Amino acid sequence: MSDRKEKTFWAVVSLSLLTIVWFFASQMESMKTLLPNPVDVFKFLVAGAISPIGQHNIWGHILWSLSRVFVGYTLAAVCGIVIGSAMAWTKVGEAIIKPFYLLLRPIPSIAWIPLAILWFGIDEKSKYFIIFIGTLLIIMTNVYDGVRSVDKNLLGAARMLGAKENQLFFKVVLPSAVPQIFSGLQVGLGAAWATMVAAEMIRSSEGAGWIIIMGQNSVNMVQIYAGIILIGVVGLFLVTAMRFLEAKLCAWNIRGK
Amino acid sequence: MKRLKINKFRVISAVTLCVFVLVWYLVTAVFGLFPKTMLPSPDSVFFSFIKKLTSTVPDGGTLFEHIFASLVVALTGYVIGVGVGLPVGISMAWFRPVDHFVRPVFDFLRTIPGIAWIPIFTVWLGIGLSAKAAIIFVGVFVGTVVNVYSGIKQTNEVHIWVAQIFGASKIEILKRVAIPSALPYIFTGLRVSLGMAWLGLIAAELLAAQKGLGYMIQVARNFGRSDLVIVGMITIGIMGALLTLALEFVERRVVKGI
Repeated sequence: MSDRKEKTFWAVVSLSLLTIVWFFASQMESMKTLLPNPVDVFKFLVAGAISPIGQHNIWGHILWSLSRVFVGYTLAAVCGIVIGSAMAWTKVGEAIIKPFYLLLRPIPSIAWIPLAILWFGIDEKSKYFIIFIGTLLIIMTNVYDGVRSVDKNLLGAARMLGAKENQLFFKVVLPSAVPQIFSGLQVGLGAAWATMVAAEMIRSSEGAGWIIIMGQNSVNMVQIYAGIILIGVVGLFLVTAMRFLEAKLCAWNIRGK
Repeated sequence: MKRLKINKFRVISAVTLCVFVLVWYLVTAVFGLFPKTMLPSPDSVFFSFIKKLTSTVPDGGTLFEHIFASLVVALTGYVIGVGVGLPVGISMAWFRPVDHFVRPVFDFLRTIPGIAWIPIFTVWLGIGLSAKAAIIFVGVFVGTVVNVYSGIKQTNEVHIWVAQIFGASKIEILKRVAIPSALPYIFTGLRVSLGMAWLGLIAAELLAAQKGLGYMIQVARNFGRSDLVIVGMITIGIMGALLTLALEFVERRVVKGI
């Protein structure tokens, strides 16, 4: 507990120090156009929480972004777990799926954006698709590794006690792969958020990424910084929420501590 | 017997890929279910690839020029990011005061995707090499620090004690014990950040560039040339895979006995 208090103390100290350095740097003549005053950025965020920037206020933009992430991410999580376990557990599944997996994995999610726009137009569907494809491969990788690294002794014991193949999978393999799957879900969520920002910066009319790109288009440095801080805070919140969920759901797992 | 089994699954893999290409060919070239701007036929992708090796239409560069431009940017950002990330990660993990001060700032900064920095870096550095390298730098820096940090932190305490008993100083222990034992983690970090460098590069080129693979697929999209988009994506994938392979080769040479 005191360890935690110490950490919080240092976090407050170092973050306030950063803000102070930022403040004085922004007061320098040569930095004026590059670095806005942190007070202005803070004021902008507070004002944006009440009155709209563009079509929505800050909460509206965050909700738009989160809804995009949610749709793409949920689809990717379900498909990733199903396809990943099919690839890891059955030999035929591996023979069919793995070539495609190996072909698609080195292509970064952002490289799909032009194709997604050609396929789905510039509306929501293309954003869902980009988030889906980026997250899917990450989750698949973790599910595959998790299912593959099941303790052979456990499998042997279950077989000896007469478990059928599908029992083996649902009662032994899947539970023991949960920690790995969870770490995939966590990394995937971070990646989904980052991809969403990219997708919104390239084409959108609302969302957290839009705030930044609009700031750039209207040469409003305060808005750019506000948007970046917003993205960081929401990202931090998502990761923390996921860790909390893991600690609650997989309490037996050391990783959850 | 065992060899036969492996071959059977190899055959299934090969058949699936062939069926995939055949279906792709049938729905595009034979039945024409999709317009050309959405899904090109596999043969047109192949011929565009061959043509793009020498042709500069429509984006003003041959495939090799784009690859070269992208590689220069990606490697510049990567080398600087690793060069800064390694010492920062090591000192964060090894010296407590540094950890206290830098960690909270770092934990906040790492949640911001590299892409989000693009507007700031374009204001600071323009849209040339340095701005794009800076975007890649951010992603690589974060990836390197995270892995180096956890690698050094996982040093076996018994090894540290032994070194202390034999009178090694803190710096000596770091050099002789902690860093060598963290090498596998460090290389994981280098590999992860290489992926991030490649991703950041494509993002940077989609938003602001005049050359490079990301720029090429963006222009191809504007012209509705889906065949070129796919050529670009495949090239991006192949280059990314080649870079990873090269790094794994170095890793096998450097990390021995593990």
